[in-house]
Amino acid sequence: MSVVSSKPDLPVMGQSPVGGRPRASKGPLFDPSFLQRLETLNLIARQLVRGRRSAARPSIKKGASIEFKDYREYSPGDDPRSVDWMAFARLGELYIKLFRQEEELDLWVLLDRSASMDFGDPSKFDHARRIAAALAYIGLGNMDSASILPFDTDLRTGLERMRGKGQVMRLMKFMEDMTIGAETGFEKTAQMFVSRVRRPGIVVIISDFYGLQKARAGLDRLRFAKHQVHVVQVVSPWERNPPLRGELRLHDAETGEETNLTITDSMLKRYKTAFQAFTTDLRKYAMRSSIGFDLTDTDVEFDEFVRHVLQHGRLLA
Amino acid sequence: MMLLAPMALWFLVIGGAVVALYLLKIKRRAATVPVLEFWLALAGKTRVHSLFDRLKRLLSMLLWLIIVICLVLAIGNPIFSLGRIKPRAIAVIIDNSASMQAVEPASESRTRFDLARQALREISGNRPVTDEWMLIEAGREPRVLQPWTFDTAAIRRAGDAVEPFSGAAKLHDAIELASQLIAGKQDPCIVIISDGAAGELAPLTAADDRLIHWPIGTTHDNAGIGQLAVRAHRQNGNYHALISVVNASDEPLETQVTLEIDGRTDSVELVSAEPGGTWEKSIVIDAPAGGVLRASLDRADALAVDNEAFAILEPIRPAVVWLVTPTDSAFFFEQALASMDPLVWAEESLTLTPEQYPAASAAAAAPDSSLKRPDLVIFNGWAPDALPAVGRFMVVNACPAELGSPAGEALASPQIHLAPRAHPLMQHVSLQGSRLAKANRITLRQPGRVLAHSAEGDPLIALIEQPERQTLLLTFDVLDSDLPFRNAFPLLLRNTVSFMHEDAPSWLRPAYRLGETIRPSRALPAGTTEAKLTLLRGGTTQESSVPVVNGSFALTQTHHTGAVRLEIGDDAAFAAMNIGDAAESRIAPVNATEDHAAKLGLSRRLLGGMPWLMLAMFASLAVVLEWLTYHFRWTE
Repeated sequence: MSVVSSKPDLPVMGQSPVGGRPRASKGPLFDPSFLQRLETLNLIARQLVRGRRSAARPSIKKGASIEFKDYREYSPGDDPRSVDWMAFARLGELYIKLFRQEEELDLWVLLDRSASMDFGDPSKFDHARRIAAALAYIGLGNMDSASILPFDTDLRTGLERMRGKGQVMRLMKFMEDMTIGAETGFEKTAQMFVSRVRRPGIVVIISDFYGLQKARAGLDRLRFAKHQVHVVQVVSPWERNPPLRGELRLHDAETGEETNLTITDSMLKRYKTAFQAFTTDLRKYAMRSSIGFDLTDTDVEFDEFVRHVLQHGRLLA
Repeated sequence: MMLLAPMALWFLVIGGAVVALYLLKIKRRAATVPVLEFWLALAGKTRVHSLFDRLKRLLSMLLWLIIVICLVLAIGNPIFSLGRIKPRAIAVIIDNSASMQAVEPASESRTRFDLARQALREISGNRPVTDEWMLIEAGREPRVLQPWTFDTAAIRRAGDAVEPFSGAAKLHDAIELASQLIAGKQDPCIVIISDGAAGELAPLTAADDRLIHWPIGTTHDNAGIGQLAVRAHRQNGNYHALISVVNASDEPLETQVTLEIDGRTDSVELVSAEPGGTWEKSIVIDAPAGGVLRASLDRADALAVDNEAFAILEPIRPAVVWLVTPTDSAFFFEQALASMDPLVWAEESLTLTPEQYPAASAAAAAPDSSLKRPDLVIFNGWAPDALPAVGRFMVVNACPAELGSPAGEALASPQIHLAPRAHPLMQHVSLQGSRLAKANRITLRQPGRVLAHSAEGDPLIALIEQPERQTLLLTFDVLDSDLPFRNAFPLLLRNTVSFMHEDAPSWLRPAYRLGETIRPSRALPAGTTEAKLTLLRGGTTQESSVPVVNGSFALTQTHHTGAVRLEIGDDAAFAAMNIGDAAESRIAPVNATEDHAAKLGLSRRLLGGMPWLMLAMFASLAVVLEWLTYHFRWTE
């Protein structure tokens, strides 16, 4: 389910109607009401989590817990403490008792900080950071751990396995200090993530997903690693309806490449159609791949979006 | 190549502006996008900034420069000469005669005259600006419409102002006029825009290399009334109309001509003529009261103006004859005159004795007299010594002293010899074998024409014509011969009454050619300041007045066939206006035997069209091409 702006696609105020780069807003990332809005979201999330607790994530793995699951024959190297000596007494053979392993529920938020995210007013990057912070806060309160890992060309250092709501100030400080990076390399990012995080968890990728073909490879890699993947595509009104006309020298925000291009009305019309197809393709891919998908416009408040995701999405399912 | 409007080159500044705009256009505005590949995929281009990419911009600029240059050249109205065309003096004669009003079906039913004006525009628009021009109108009296000028626009304006003329052209006179005016000019030539005037032009252009016939028209389809002439036949009290119809078409003519008198149909005649032939017929019209005769041809063809013709039927007034004779010899003359109805007005004619004549003559001359003035006075056996200075007289067996004098003994049994040259007075009169007992031998004192004489040459019948007086002398006594028993004398008497009976002279001639200025044939009464004019054209009448100055007027409204009625005081005069030239009905064009455009040295066509038009089309095509290349991103 995507949440899109109900506002008309109009050029954002304060930016050049033709050409130029829409600059990120200069205001504070987290205003004083931000925490209050996070707590509201957390309450909503808690209610949802309690309602689903009974079916909450029993692990198929066998491990060390108090809940018995099965027996198996002893083999050399097994922990002698797990041998069922009562069975040995009755049957004269060594059996190992197997218990259901309790799995921790980890939330991993992969945040795209590539240069292409530095667009719109508010910028996609700011919008993405607020959403990431909200999700992480919810993870702190309702899951075993929450992590935020920024990425651009590859996976960057972030906050890993934070536990407890006491980490919130650290989280906000980290988010505020996060800067825009370079190009997007999501496939490499996914590869690094899978190699570092072997225990499956909930992985939320917040990005604009430009270069969908490469992004698909990374998402597939996360799926194959048993992670529950959820993507949040961030778009800005500028991207939906770019105020570009005429003879322009286009500058690639990520690569810095430039090209001369004449943008006509017909070309702009084709762009809008292609952009719509771009988001639709990502959505269809997500549906086919059992990946959660949500689309957010930067002109929609982050908490409204998160509330929508919590109530209608599968993020905490 | 020459430009007829070289000032258009100033517009080439626009080309510089185009280049400047492209230079400005190269300084593109910068814009940052999240990813460039998205846009490049839409634009269908790679990131490679190839040389071709830069050339594409140059191609666009080149196209716009071509558009500007084509438009500037088109505005400049270029002519392509390849060095052939040299400046020259060109006198253009435009034929605006009746045949040029023929409608050309092959040219959207425009008249030849319209085509001639278009040809004038074409000629003047395809020559260098250094040419000197003059325009002469060939219709009516040739006249210069535009004196020598270098301004072709003035020539075109003068051509547009030429009025069509329904009469015959005077191409020969126009050429003579032009020949005089081109003397001393640089490389002169005379261009005659005409349909050939029924072959009149061909020998002229063949004889003079400076003449260039610019042919107009293609259609042959026409039949017209070539002639309509009317003659009053007083002796019978009717008219004889001679009408001829010319068939200039390629098809046999089968139609009818309708004769109307004052709007009433008098007769309808079937007309039949072979291609190129003429149908003629003399028609008797019995309308003593006269009127306006209109002949109309029932045929829709290329030239309508010659499908009708007009003629005036002057009322036939019987003659008032006074017979002055001794009473004992009046019977024979009275019986002869009584048999001449309607030629003689019996009620107003008088038989007088010589004693009564002076009183009657004085009474008739009185202004308010009830007596009609005699058209003819017959003196039989007596004549006054001096005849009145004005009048028509027949003197039998007497001789006024002023006209002749006795020349000796009377001729005894003279034999009548007729003069070898026939005279209307002697028409149908056969005096052969007539016997005269005697005749007076006289010598004429005034020059006269002897119609019959004796064997010795003494005049027996003589006509003495003076400016205001006509006198027929018979030197013998009619009763003293066998003439009363023969037809000859009544015929002679009838001829005399008919010949000498003359209506009051009209102010106008019976017929005028179209375009001819109508002037009075004699001075109008003193004090006349205007004459009331009524024009009859195609069943409608227009009334106006003509100012009279010094006893004369000039009526120039003679461009259409019809009739004119002019009232001067209590008197009225009529006249007909017709084309007056059967050649105008023969509208078959005479094609020029040479390439007239090449001889004149006109601009070559550009891809079959006028250079400026084709350049404008090139510019339009370039605009479309530029739009397409831009739209499909072949150019930027």
